[in-house]
Amino acid sequence: MSEEKGPSIPQALFVNEVRLTGRQWALAALIVLAIAWLTPVLWARLERFQTGPDYRIPYSLSKDYWLYERRLRESSASQPVVVLGDSVVWGEYVLPDGTWSHFLNQQSDASKKFINSGVNGLFPLALEGLVRYYGGALRNRQIILHCNVLWMSSPKADLQTSKEEKFNHSRLVPQFSPRIPCYKADDNERLGIIAERNLTFLAWIAHLQNAYFDQKSILAWTLEDDGNDPPHYPNCYKNPLAQISVAVPSAPVEDPERGPKSPRHKPWFEGGNKPAAFEFVELDSSLQWGAFQRLVKLLQDRGNRVFVVLGPFNEHFVADESRAGYQKVHDGVARWLEKNQVPHWSPEALPSELYADASHPLTAGYELLARRTWQKAEFQRWLQTPYGLTRFTNSVNSE
Amino acid sequence: MLFHTWPFLVFLLVVLPVFFALRKTRLWIPWLMAASYFFYGWWNPYYLILVVYSTTLDFFLVALMDHCPNEVGNVNVLERLTRFRFDDGVLRAAFVVSILATVTILAWATAGPATLRPALAFLGLVFLLMALGSLFSNRRIWLLISVVNNLALLLFFKYAHFVVENLNFTLSWLHTTSRLPEPATLMPFGFTYLLPVGISFFTFQSLSYTIDFYFGKVERERNFLRFATFVCFFPQLMAGPIERAKHLLPQFRTFPPIRLENFTDGLSLFLVGLFKKLALANYLSFYVERVYDNPKAFGAPALMLATFAFAWQIFFDFSGYTDMARGVARLMGFNLILNFNNPYLATGLGDFWSRWHISLSTWFRDYVYIPLGGSKHGAFKTYRNLFITFLVSGLWHGAAWTYVIWGLLHALGVMITRELERSGFYRDRVPKLVKQIAVFIFVCFAWIFFRADSLSDATLIVNRLFTAAWQDPAIPVLMLALTGLVWLYQFLHESRFNEWLKTGLVRVSLAVFMLLYLCLFSSGGGTFIYFQF
Repeated sequence: MSEEKGPSIPQALFVNEVRLTGRQWALAALIVLAIAWLTPVLWARLERFQTGPDYRIPYSLSKDYWLYERRLRESSASQPVVVLGDSVVWGEYVLPDGTWSHFLNQQSDASKKFINSGVNGLFPLALEGLVRYYGGALRNRQIILHCNVLWMSSPKADLQTSKEEKFNHSRLVPQFSPRIPCYKADDNERLGIIAERNLTFLAWIAHLQNAYFDQKSILAWTLEDDGNDPPHYPNCYKNPLAQISVAVPSAPVEDPERGPKSPRHKPWFEGGNKPAAFEFVELDSSLQWGAFQRLVKLLQDRGNRVFVVLGPFNEHFVADESRAGYQKVHDGVARWLEKNQVPHWSPEALPSELYADASHPLTAGYELLARRTWQKAEFQRWLQTPYGLTRFTNSVNSE
Repeated sequence: MLFHTWPFLVFLLVVLPVFFALRKTRLWIPWLMAASYFFYGWWNPYYLILVVYSTTLDFFLVALMDHCPNEVGNVNVLERLTRFRFDDGVLRAAFVVSILATVTILAWATAGPATLRPALAFLGLVFLLMALGSLFSNRRIWLLISVVNNLALLLFFKYAHFVVENLNFTLSWLHTTSRLPEPATLMPFGFTYLLPVGISFFTFQSLSYTIDFYFGKVERERNFLRFATFVCFFPQLMAGPIERAKHLLPQFRTFPPIRLENFTDGLSLFLVGLFKKLALANYLSFYVERVYDNPKAFGAPALMLATFAFAWQIFFDFSGYTDMARGVARLMGFNLILNFNNPYLATGLGDFWSRWHISLSTWFRDYVYIPLGGSKHGAFKTYRNLFITFLVSGLWHGAAWTYVIWGLLHALGVMITRELERSGFYRDRVPKLVKQIAVFIFVCFAWIFFRADSLSDATLIVNRLFTAAWQDPAIPVLMLALTGLVWLYQFLHESRFNEWLKTGLVRVSLAVFMLLYLCLFSSGGGTFIYFQF
C-alpha cells in the first residue's frame, strides 16, 4: 500500500504519452488506410503465383480465399469455362491431371479452356459464401456448377442438427441468417468473419497465414511445437518475416494421398464397404439446397451463363431402403432447375468401380464423365451459344 | 462483453451517438445506466440482480443515514417502540417497512421452498438490522449494514467455497462426521454458483460511497439513476479502475463538454490498451501457459523467463484493460482515475504499490490501513497494519492460499524496503537502476505464487528455479524483442529523451505501427486476467 502521506490518486490522463492530436490521428488513419488498400494490390503483383492448365488450389491453401479470388481474377483474361463445386470438382482422390476439368480440356482440343475452380471441403452453404464474398471476378463467364446431393443426404450433412459440429470453411457460411443450428460460433467470431469478408486487407493477412505460417497467426506460429514428446519448438528463434518467400506454395509434386498410385485411389467396395443407408432431408427445409438455389441466382445475376451438372452420385452406394429418398431429392432438384429454365444435365451413374466413395469418381470415372459431358447435346448447345442467358426468375431467400 | 471484441464495437457505435444525441435532454443518464446494465447483462443477465440489489440498498442506506443525527444522542427506544414517536418521519416509515419486510421474509422462509431459505434468511437479517438502524437513529448501524451486505455478497460468491473446503478439511482432520454444505447448494431458483464478473470492483465502489458519506467526505447523491450509473458505469464496471464517488459522481451532474480532444485522447488511450492486450498480453500468455501448465517439464531458464513473461503479461493485460476503459470513458468526456504508472520502474515496494493498480491500493490505504491506525502508532503497529492490509489485498485477488502468500510476500517486501530506505547508504548510494531491478525481481518472485495453479505447483517452480537443469527455454525471440522494446520505451520516457518521444513524428509512427501490428500479428480473443477477481 502507498503510505497515507504518499501521493493521492493521480489525476493525470496519460502515462507514456502516446497521445495524438486530431491532425495526427487523421494522418495516422490516412497512412494505415493507404497501406491497407495498396498492400494487397501490390502484393498480387509481387508474389509469384504459378498456375498451369490443370492448376487447382492446393489442399493446404483450401481456406485461402484471397488467393482463390486472385486465381479467378487472373484467369479471367483467357475467358475460360469455370468448373465450380466441391471436392468432386476439385478431385479428392486424383491428381490434377485426373480431374474432370483436365479431361474436359482434353475433349475440347483447346477450342475451349476449362479451369478447375473447385475447393476441397466445400459444400453449398460455403460455396455460396465463397462466390458471394470472394468470387467477384465471376462475371459474364460460362460456369459449370456441380450439384452434389450428398449434402442433402442426412440432417448432419445438411448442418441441421442442433448439436455443435465442427466443419470445414465455417468462415464462408451465413453467420446470422439463415441460422445454421449446428454452428455455434460466438458473436465475436461471427462479426470478425463478416469484417474479414468485407476488408480485403484482413483477407490478405489470412492469405499470409495460410501460405507461409501453417494457417496460424504469426505469433502462434513462433510458438508452434513439432508434436513430439518431449516437444521441440522449431520456430521460436526464427525470424517470421524471413518465412515469407513471396511465392505461393504449390501442391507437392508427389502427393501420397492422391492419384492412381495412392492406396486411397481404389473402388469404394474394395475396402469392404457395403451400400449405406442415407436419411435424405426434405428439399423444402434443406439449408444446403436453399444455399444452392441462392448461388444459382447470384451467379446469374452477375451475368454468368450457368450450366448445372447434377451428380452423378454413386447410386450403387445407396442401400435399397434409401433409394426412394435419394430419388425424391434428385428429382426435386431436377424439377426446380427445369422449372427455372436453368440449363442442366443429370448424368446417369458411372459404373460402380469408378467411384471411390459416395460421390467422388476415380481418375477413369472423371475421364468417362468428361467424355459423356462433351457428348451431351444440351451441353454443347450451352457451350456454343454466344450469349443468351436464360434468366432465372424464381425468388429465393438470400441472407 | 470485452473491449477488444467486435460486439463491443457494435455496442459502442450504438451507445455513443445516442448518448451525444441526448445531450440536451435529461435522458443521457438513464441511457448510460441502461447501456451499462446491458453491457453487464450480456455476460449473464441473472447477475444483474446483484448489481441492482447492491446499488439500491446502498442508495437507501445513505439516504437513511442522512436522516440520522451526526452525533449519537439519547434515544427513547421504549417510546419509539410503543408510541411510534420518531423525530423523523422517514425513519419511522423505514422502521415500519423494515419490520414488516422482516416478518414477511421470515414467514416466507419458513413456509417457502427450502432452496430459498438461505437467501431469505440473509435478506431478513438485513431488514432486521435496518429496523434497528431506524429505531436507534444511528448512522453507524447503516454503515454496518452496507459493509456487511457488500462483504457478504463478496464472501459468499468469492470465498465461500474456499472457506467451506478448508473448514471441512479441518473437520475431517478432527475426525468429526459433520460437514458444511457446499455454497452451490445455497443458490436460490437453481441458479448456477458462479463468481459474478467484476463483483470485487462494483462492491468496493459502492461501499466506498457509503463509507465516504459516513465520514462526511462526500455529499449524499439524491438521484438514484445517477448513483446507479456511478456504480455500474460500463467502462469500469468489470475490472475498474475502482472509482470514488467524490471523483466520478460530480462528472455525472452535467453533460460533459464535447471536445475534439476528448475523442483523440480517448482513441489514443484505447489504441494503446488494445495493443497491450492483443499484441503483448495474449502473446505472452501462450508461453506462460505452456510452462506454468506443466512446470515439471521445463528447466530453470524456461521457468524464469515464464515468470518474467507473466509479470509483463499481467501488466499488459490489466493496464491494457484500464487504458481501454479510460479511453472509452474519455470518448464520452469522462475522466477515470489513473490506475498504472510504469510499476516496473518502481524503486521500492511502497513505490510499486503507488504505481500498480493505484485505485485498489489507495482503496485499501483509505479504508483498511488508515482505519487500522496507519503508521501513527509506532513501528510494530505500522507493520501489523501493513501485514493485515496486504493479507486482505491478497485475499481480494482470490480465494486460495497462493494469493495469501502473494499478499504476505508483498507485506514483507514493503517492510524490508521501508527499513532499507531509512539507511542513508541505500537511499543515496545504491543506484536507481539497481533498486529498480531488485524490485522487479522481487515482484516477479511473488508473481510465481499468484500465477501458479496450486501451492504445490508454486513451491515446485521455486524449487526448480534453483535446482533444475539449464535447458533451452525455447522462448520466441519476437516475444523477447517486443517486451524489451516496451521496457526500453518506459525507460526512455522517464529519461531526458522524454521530449523526443512526444514529437508528432514519433507519436504518429507509433500509432501506425500499433494499428498495423494489431492487424498483422494479433491472435485476437482471450478474456482479461482481472475479470476473475
